Formats: sequence, C-alpha cells, structure tokens
Amino acid sequence: MADLISLRGIKRHYDVGGEVVRALDGVDLIINHNEYISIMGPSGSGKSTMMNMIGCLDSPTEGVYEFEGELVHEMDDNQLASIRNRKIGFVFQTFNLLPKATALRNVEVPLIYANISKSERVKKAEKALLAVGLSDRMHHKPNELSGGQRQRVAIARALVNNPSILLADEPTGNLDSKSGVEIMKILDSLHDDGNTIILVTHEEYIAEHADRTINLFDGKIKEDRQTKKRKRVVA
Amino acid sequence: MISLFWENLRISLGSIFGNKSRSILTALGIVIGVLSVTLMGTLISGLDRTFEKSMSFLSRDVLIISRMDWFGGDMDWWELRNRPRIKEDYVEQLREKSQFVAAVAPMAERGGSIIRGDKRIDTRFFGTTPEYMATNESADVITGRYFTDGENRSGARVMVIGGDVADALFPDEDPIDEYVKIGSHKFRVVGVLKKQGKFMGMFSLDNQAVLPFGTFQRLFSRRGWMNVRVKVNTDNYDEAKEEIYGVMRQIRGLKPMEKDDFAINQSATMEAQYKAIKLAIGGTGLFITALSLIVGGIGIMNIMFVSVKERTKEIGVRKALGATQSMILGQFLMEAVLICLIAGLVGMGLAGGLSLLINQFFPSSMPVGLAIGSIIISVVIGIVSGLVPSYQAARLDPIDALRYE
Repeated sequence: MADLISLRGIKRHYDVGGEVVRALDGVDLIINHNEYISIMGPSGSGKSTMMNMIGCLDSPTEGVYEFEGELVHEMDDNQLASIRNRKIGFVFQTFNLLPKATALRNVEVPLIYANISKSERVKKAEKALLAVGLSDRMHHKPNELSGGQRQRVAIARALVNNPSILLADEPTGNLDSKSGVEIMKILDSLHDDGNTIILVTHEEYIAEHADRTINLFDGKIKEDRQTKKRKRVVA
Repeated sequence: MISLFWENLRISLGSIFGNKSRSILTALGIVIGVLSVTLMGTLISGLDRTFEKSMSFLSRDVLIISRMDWFGGDMDWWELRNRPRIKEDYVEQLREKSQFVAAVAPMAERGGSIIRGDKRIDTRFFGTTPEYMATNESADVITGRYFTDGENRSGARVMVIGGDVADALFPDEDPIDEYVKIGSHKFRVVGVLKKQGKFMGMFSLDNQAVLPFGTFQRLFSRRGWMNVRVKVNTDNYDEAKEEIYGVMRQIRGLKPMEKDDFAINQSATMEAQYKAIKLAIGGTGLFITALSLIVGGIGIMNIMFVSVKERTKEIGVRKALGATQSMILGQFLMEAVLICLIAGLVGMGLAGGLSLLINQFFPSSMPVGLAIGSIIISVVIGIVSGLVPSYQAARLDPIDALRYE
C-alpha cells in the first residue's frame, strides 16, 4: 500500500516584518496507515505549523506533500477544503464546537459540507456519537455538556466522515486529568480499530500513548523514535 | 447543495433571531427605506390613475380657446392682461371658417351661491349653448333634460345642476321643476348632470350649474371670463389645432409677425404638464427615498462586518471541517439577504397598510409591480451590502481564524 502521508523537503517560511521565520525548515516524514504518532517539541519548534501542514490548513513554501497519492502542495483552496473534509478529522484543544448547535448537529457539520442528505447525515452522526458513548447526550448543546463530553463530541465530529487520519492538537489540554484519561482511552481504542492518529502535544505522558514520537526543534525533525509499546487492551 | 442551502438558511435564521435587538435595529433602516420608496411609488401611481380618470372630462378631441394658456408660465403678465377677450361671435365664425369643427360652444363662467330656502351652496355656474353637450362627452343629463335652443335664445331662467348642487339643495326630493335663486334671480331646475367625481381627488366636478348662454349674459356679465369649446371632427388633432390657430389669427386680424393673443388649450397640454410635474416630484421623491434605502444598506453592511468578526472562530472551524470559500460566502450572504428580505416584507406590509389609510384622504393604492419591485430591491440591497463582508469571511485564512479569540 502507498504511504498515507509523505512529506519531502517541506519548508514553511513566514515573512514577519521583513524577517524570514523558518517555521518548518526541510522536513521529511513518512506516515503509514494505522500509525499512532505523537509530534512533540517546545513552543516555536514548528509543532503547530507541522500540524497545520499535515491538516492541509496551510501550504508549504517549498517541498512535496503527498496525501494518499494526491499532491497537496499543488492544491488550491477548494481542493484543500475538500481534502480536509474527506480525509482529515480535527480534534482541537478548545473543542471548537458550534455553541448554538446540539451535539448531533455539530457532528453533522462535516457531512453537510460533503453534501450528504439529511437522513443519512443523522444516521451517521448518531452512529459516531454512539461510538464515543454519547448517545444519551445527542440533543444537548455544548454548554450543557462537561469538558470531557464536549471533547467526545468533537471526536465524533472528526470521525463522522470516515477520515484517513485523526489529527488531535493537545486534545487533553483543556481537560481535568480524569477526563483526559477518558479521552486518551477513546483515542487508543480508535487506533486499535484501525484509525491513523496524529497527536500534537507537549506532555510526555500523552505522547507515550503513541507508538512513534517525532520531536521537532527549530523547524527540523530532531528525533523520530518508536515509543515503547503500550500495553494493548486485547478483547 | 440543497442541504447546504437549508443549513445556511438555518444558520442565518439562528443568527438573526439570536441577536434580536441588533437585527431589529439593523432591519429598521431597510424597513424605513422600503416603506418610503413604496409609499412614494404608491402615491405617484395613485396620482397617475386619478389623473387618467380626471382627464376623461377633458376629451382629447376638444380644444378650448381661451385668453390665456393653462400653463403659460413664461409669458409676461401685462401682455396676458392686455390680450383681447374671447367673444361670443367667435363661435359662429369658427363654425364657418374651420373645416374641422364638429361642435362648438361658448362657455362663460363665474362663481356664486345658489340658494333654495335656507339651503345654499357655493358653486360655479356656466353659461353655454345646448351644443355644449356635444363638446363634452362626460356631461350627461341623468334626470330631466337639457335646455333648448329656444330657451337659450329667449334667455329663459332655467338651469341644469350638477350632482353636488342637487344633493345640497334637494337632499330628499326631486329637483326637477323646482325653483332656486342666484342672487335675486329665480331659476327653474330642468335637469341634473351625471356625477363625475373629483378632479385629482381635490375639487368636485359635480359642484356646478349650467345656464343658457343668453340668460347668463343678460343677467350677469357680458365682459366676464369666457372660453370657446371646440370639438374637432378628426383624429388628427395637431392638424385641426393648426388650422384653428390660423382661423383664430384671422378672426383676431393678426399680422404674420404678430404673436398669438389667445391660447388653444387641450387636455394633452395638461397631460404634458402633468407628466413633467410628476417626473420632477416623482424623480426627486424617489431619489431622496432611495437614499434612505442606501443608508439602510450601509447599516446591513456594518452589521455584517460585525457578524463576520464575531464569528471568525466559527469560520475557522467550518473551514477546517471542509467548508469552501463559496460555502462561507453563501452563508453570510444568505444572512444579509434574509435580513433585508424580512425587512422589505415588513416595510411593504406597512406601506400597504398606510396606503389604505392615506386612501381615505387622497387616492392611493399599491400596484403589484411596485410590491414585487420593492422585494427585489430588498434582495439586491442584501446582496450588495452583504457581498464585501461575506467575501471577507470567505477569504479568511483558516489558521488565523481558528486562532482568533
């Protein structure tokens, strides 16, 4: 099978007040299907830029980005929107749910942009909420849910369109430790079900959930190592 | 894309009704704009239809020869003042000399009161010949009869009264063969004219009385204000008018270089004058009221900028979830159009109600075209004023938008 994600010589430079900031400065990275990767690094290391790049929110200044054989670095805005919609599920630190919409409607949003009919949308969204254990909270609005529940809605939203990767940016950063553990359990089990997960974090104990850890420093990959296999929960 | 349309509609409604007071204030600008434009249009069209209706009493094929132009604004007053009077014998001269005369009648006019017992009405009365009926299509005797040539020649004291006069002096009885007085002169009522309604909704055409010309001249004045009504026997009014100008100049003995010292008026001149006035009033009115719509549109644009700013983060999230630029554009454009559409409908409803109210005093009614037009205008304003903010929203960088707090 082809590589899921292939980054070759990716550079991302910003021009800030006449000074060139090299947020990413020549990154090569291959990510395969069903990997569980964490991306780490101190602030300013290019972690966020890396996540935006993989998440197709940003385009490289230089380099080649292939996503399942599609050349992302050549895409225009509409194509990027489409690839985000079909192939990438985002989980944000601050959940980023739509405050006035119910959990169910929040989960439906990516399906609306995928132009899926109402009845099918509801069916898929209900299934995704069931998968994160929220089938009894579907008609609650975000402010009626706890932080952990909100993040689970966000995970359901990320998964609803069957993306190729789940991109989680500090998914436990805004949660108490108990909810954090819950969320990490869900992510672990999603990986066990065959999903590819990329975690962006600066917490070592979160990164340990992943099978592979990539350390960024000054826009370059400093370290790319296999993490000690965590104990698999085998049914 | 249909599901996206419904979603956008839902988002827009949510946003509009979620910020009620803001939406109401914003919409108010458009409501007032649409209200004033629609009302203006309604009044103009009401004026128009009234004019058409009122014009029917001045048939197109009737020329009225008078001392002065109805609309001779640029003439010197002294020149007009010194024009010779229109004389009675012009009637016969015109009949002889012009080949286009179908009917011709003199019309002397004055104001005064008609009295019957303790009832009186201030009115205008005309002295004319029986031929007058042939020069005025809308003048019909509804009860009784018109006076005869014999009565005209002998100066009989008979009178045909208009509907208002009949109503005022004979509220519950048949006026025929009853007597009324003008000053100390006693007249027998022989007929009542059919009602014609109000001219431009302002003064009644039914408040008049018609006397035989001979009687009028004998009892009142030979030197009063007088016109000659000529009904022409052709459709070529211009040709007839030209010829009658010539005949009149000949009657007046004017030399080729001398200016006309009389005027030939026609409903067409009134119509042209009316159109010019309507254009001026309507044009300025619509322009001024359209300004209020533009102000309303600016209000919409302003609030849309606020809405985009407020929802920057949401835009970022939506983009991350796969919304394209055009989808975001559509979402905000929908919101702007929806506010304007709702405001437009409200404004139109108010205008409709108000025009019913105004109709009690002044003729007005809202034409369907205007109603549809004002809705279209609202939508266009929504699009125009929503376009820039929506475009700004669509062009937001998803990363910056997501980071926005």
